[in-house]
Amino acid sequence: MAAIRSGSTPQAVSRRRFLHAALVSGPLAPAALLAPRGVRHAWAQEAPKKGGTLRVGFYIEAATMDPHLSGSKIDRQVYHNIYEPLVVLDANLGVKPGLAESWQQPDAKTLVFKLRRGVKFHDGTDFNAEAVKFNFNRMKTEPKSVRKGEVASIDTVDVVDPYTVRLNLKRPDAALLATLTDRAGMMVSPKTAQERGAELERNAKGAGTGPFVFVEWVKDDHLLIRRNDAYWNKQGGPYLEQVRYRPIPDDTVKLQSLQAGEIQVMDYVQPRDVAAVKADKNVVVVDVPSLADFAYQLNHTKPPFDIKALRQAVAYSLDLEQIVKGVWLNVGVPANGPIPPTSWAYDRSIPFIKRDLAKARAKLAEGGKPGGFTFTMTTNNIPINVQEAEVMQAQLAEAGITMKIKLVDAGTLISDGNARNFEMISFQWSGRPDPDGNTYQFFHTTPGTSLNWSGISNPQMDALLDKSREISSQAERKKLFSQLTRLLQDELPMVFIVHPIEPKAFSPRVQNYDPIPDGMMRFKDVWLK
Amino acid sequence: MAGSTRGSGIAEPARWGTLRRAAAARLAPFGAAVLLLAVLGAVFAPVVSPHDPLKQDLDRALARPGRAHLLGTDNVGRDVLSRVIWGTRVSLVAGFGSVAIAMVAGGLLGLLAGYAGGRVDGLVMRLMDAVLSFPPLVLALALGAVLGAGLTGVVIALGVVYTPTFARLMRGQVLTITAREYVDAARALGAPGWRIAWAHVLPNATAPIVVQASLSVAFAILAEASLSFLGLGIQPPAASWGSMINAGRGYLQQAPWIVFGPGAALFVTVVGLNFVGDAVRDALDPRLRV
Amino acid sequence: MGRLLLRRLVATIPVLLLVTAGVFALIHLTPGDPIDAMMAESVDDTVKRELRRDLGLDRPLYLQYATWMGRLLQGDLGRSIRNREPVIENVGRRIKPSLQLAGLAMGIALLVATPIGILSAARRNSAVDRVGTSFALFGICMPNFLIALILIFVFGVKLRWLPISGYVDPLEEPLDGLRSLTLPAITLGLALAAVITRTLRSSMLEALSEDYIRTARAKGLSDGAVVRRHALKNALIPVVTVIGLQLGTLIGGAVITEYVFALPGVGRLVVDAVFARDYPLVQGVVLLIAVGFILSNLVVDLLYGWIDPRIRHR
Repeated sequence: MAAIRSGSTPQAVSRRRFLHAALVSGPLAPAALLAPRGVRHAWAQEAPKKGGTLRVGFYIEAATMDPHLSGSKIDRQVYHNIYEPLVVLDANLGVKPGLAESWQQPDAKTLVFKLRRGVKFHDGTDFNAEAVKFNFNRMKTEPKSVRKGEVASIDTVDVVDPYTVRLNLKRPDAALLATLTDRAGMMVSPKTAQERGAELERNAKGAGTGPFVFVEWVKDDHLLIRRNDAYWNKQGGPYLEQVRYRPIPDDTVKLQSLQAGEIQVMDYVQPRDVAAVKADKNVVVVDVPSLADFAYQLNHTKPPFDIKALRQAVAYSLDLEQIVKGVWLNVGVPANGPIPPTSWAYDRSIPFIKRDLAKARAKLAEGGKPGGFTFTMTTNNIPINVQEAEVMQAQLAEAGITMKIKLVDAGTLISDGNARNFEMISFQWSGRPDPDGNTYQFFHTTPGTSLNWSGISNPQMDALLDKSREISSQAERKKLFSQLTRLLQDELPMVFIVHPIEPKAFSPRVQNYDPIPDGMMRFKDVWLK
Repeated sequence: MAGSTRGSGIAEPARWGTLRRAAAARLAPFGAAVLLLAVLGAVFAPVVSPHDPLKQDLDRALARPGRAHLLGTDNVGRDVLSRVIWGTRVSLVAGFGSVAIAMVAGGLLGLLAGYAGGRVDGLVMRLMDAVLSFPPLVLALALGAVLGAGLTGVVIALGVVYTPTFARLMRGQVLTITAREYVDAARALGAPGWRIAWAHVLPNATAPIVVQASLSVAFAILAEASLSFLGLGIQPPAASWGSMINAGRGYLQQAPWIVFGPGAALFVTVVGLNFVGDAVRDALDPRLRV
Repeated sequence: MGRLLLRRLVATIPVLLLVTAGVFALIHLTPGDPIDAMMAESVDDTVKRELRRDLGLDRPLYLQYATWMGRLLQGDLGRSIRNREPVIENVGRRIKPSLQLAGLAMGIALLVATPIGILSAARRNSAVDRVGTSFALFGICMPNFLIALILIFVFGVKLRWLPISGYVDPLEEPLDGLRSLTLPAITLGLALAAVITRTLRSSMLEALSEDYIRTARAKGLSDGAVVRRHALKNALIPVVTVIGLQLGTLIGGAVITEYVFALPGVGRLVVDAVFARDYPLVQGVVLLIAVGFILSNLVVDLLYGWIDPRIRHR
């Protein structure tokens, strides 16, 4: 990283250079990604200053300010500053206390939270067990609630005492805690929710407990939040006076806005811009290994991919290293499965499927198509997807497999996926902190329309997935997920390509950004020089 | 369009005279040359391209223009010049194809409306007005999504967008020409409607239609580029100039040749088409001859 | 005049009916539906089904069309599926930047095109004419997103004179507002200027070649006076037509410019709505744009009739 700033020590510089070398050029060592702390940028060692307006550019604006009705990723970015979940994620994807001070599981179907005292919602009402119960009920019963699936395992919620709440589960759910670190665990003020009704989607004043308070949202223009001086956590920030979010749909314009100083934070740098941006002295780049997995779903319910051997032929024909190097410019690692290297469940010992044209041809013969076959791959019309598709097309052609590319817009992609109207279709999942969130809904037998677009129904897989939800020991679950990964590499409901890194770019004035792999930008302790 | 109403004051357009005058217009040869070059390039693309436009060479991605690659390489190492030459096919098909559809559909509709008059005329022209008042990009986008991805969808969508222009033009020509005396004479002599249309209306209507067509082809090629920008696309790995510009715009700072190669081709072709169109239009009206 | 106006207005009704049918059919035929697009990351089929029922999306198409038309006739354009706000409000929010952009672009275009067009015609075949014609050609033949990209690169990144994205309302903050609209207005204005230059030039040439001009010159009137007093007035007619038509298309047609410069305008609104299959929004906005286009055509026609008395009494 050539962003040499005054005040940084030579040691810090060379460490940055080393990390830069390790992360950008050459094959990535998963170790660098497994220990995100090692990636921590060396921020300036001064005392934080209060004040200033942080201008943030995202590619679209939020869709709603009601976390229970939210379905879009960008909404979460704002939520993590004005709302707070019961539990939070740390840089290692560990679950730490949030609005809940501690929790216990007396048995597999019960979860008891002890809540933090002295926390008030921005509208002045108290945060307590009644509020928690109200929130979970709202998530389960509100007609337009998008959280229903996430809290499906919760049966009833009991208020034990004003600061203790008990969740009674329908079944053991080892993934629930991790799910509660995001929207499903975010607490909205009952008073504001009831008073404001549907208006809450536009106006979240008074609704949260977080380090920032919602001020205004001028649709299509900007969203403004300001510092909560009455924030309960007196350690650290918030320092910033205001944070102003602006939607800038065009990546290149967004980057240029950052370079021109019009915005100070950018949520994602395209791989093609990463090298140039890292060389730019006016920009600081922080690589955030993400939870995402980018893959292609294969339709098991109709030819040609109803035949396992043909799926495997495709997998053996692809050269993941070349794709990650040539298309993603090493801003990511080849994927061995749906679980990203940032997760505790990631099994380093399982290699990603390496290219082997001999095996590919053998599989073609085994599948009854020794001369190769033709299929259509449906993907989204964004530049990097198109690029990846073209590279894949060339790779498959070398094995005798002809892949046709069908470009569609996002609406059509989702529709085709849900209707299983595809042979191979692009699927980019933003990822969840618990490995269950990257696996269950895609690979478990599910009747009706679901995210299991491939239509896979494998009893062994189902058993593994179900068991992983029941056991609570992380070590045990990790073993199950390793088994699952191996099974996935064999059955191939999806061909996994890459676990991308999300490089985030900042003006050099921005200090103290703490990168958490979920990609959410939390500004509590951030300050402007 | 300011010249066309005047032009119809000429009694009997001498077609060869028109061509001669068109050829004499100063910039016409340049326009014709460009067009010829483009068509030849499109037809003989496999022969003329120095490299395979689809061959990727990730090690040589984003190479500067040089001896091996006259216009450099793109982000997956493909030769830009070869892609531009092959792209000529796509752009010309998009341009000429959509205008051909519009000319035929619009021409027939205009003929029908102008000739039949009355209710039919009213209905057809209302339909054309409806299409015209539809925001064109939205119309093309939605049609493209309905018709399915690919060049065919784009060509049909653009064809629909341009149809009203030709319909109006043809109708206007029909109305003007059928009002002329020799048509009355033909009618009085008992010539059937279709024969009059064929022998008198069409030949005289062709000139303005040709002018409009050449200009529309230019716009269609530009429109296809805009549609690629918004994501309605030619299916990869085939590429039109528009989709190449779109794919390359993220690399404008690092590797501007990816954009300027097809951009220049697009610009020159469109300019050439405009010259040809202008030349024919100027030739129609000797008073405007440059 | 009043009766003419009324007759023309009535004549637009069938056109608008056709537009409503067309946009309804078209957007409903596109694959995919708004609920899937909105809840892409949700598994919950029952929620989706409920939402669809709530919005009436599960009913047969002709019924949905009839319902929409019924509400339309009462003046209700419906609500956007994504943000559940009335379509009118969505458009109202976005119309200001679009109008301001269109106005500024037209202003720039006229400022540039008028002198060039007149001079090119007055001094035909001279260097000025060549430059003018080349400029016009350039403006018409360059794809406007390319112009936008180059402008951003030169003025925004390299020189840092002007902001490259985002919108500031000039009515609230004049200086910043104008600066935020400058690059997009130049992008749009360049193409406009090119069209106007050509039209002005060719209609000026035509006007200048009229017999009465030769008479005026023979009588000893200076060139400048000839241009000003006689040619210009008559040359303006086709130019006014062109300006009116272009303005009519500018509102919904500046999509690419709005995209590249992140301006919250009507063009982007409708294209985003198409991608998200937000049926009521697409239908409503397309209808409004069509109405705008038709009205602007009407105004131009009336203006035309007013300027040119030969056409007035029809």
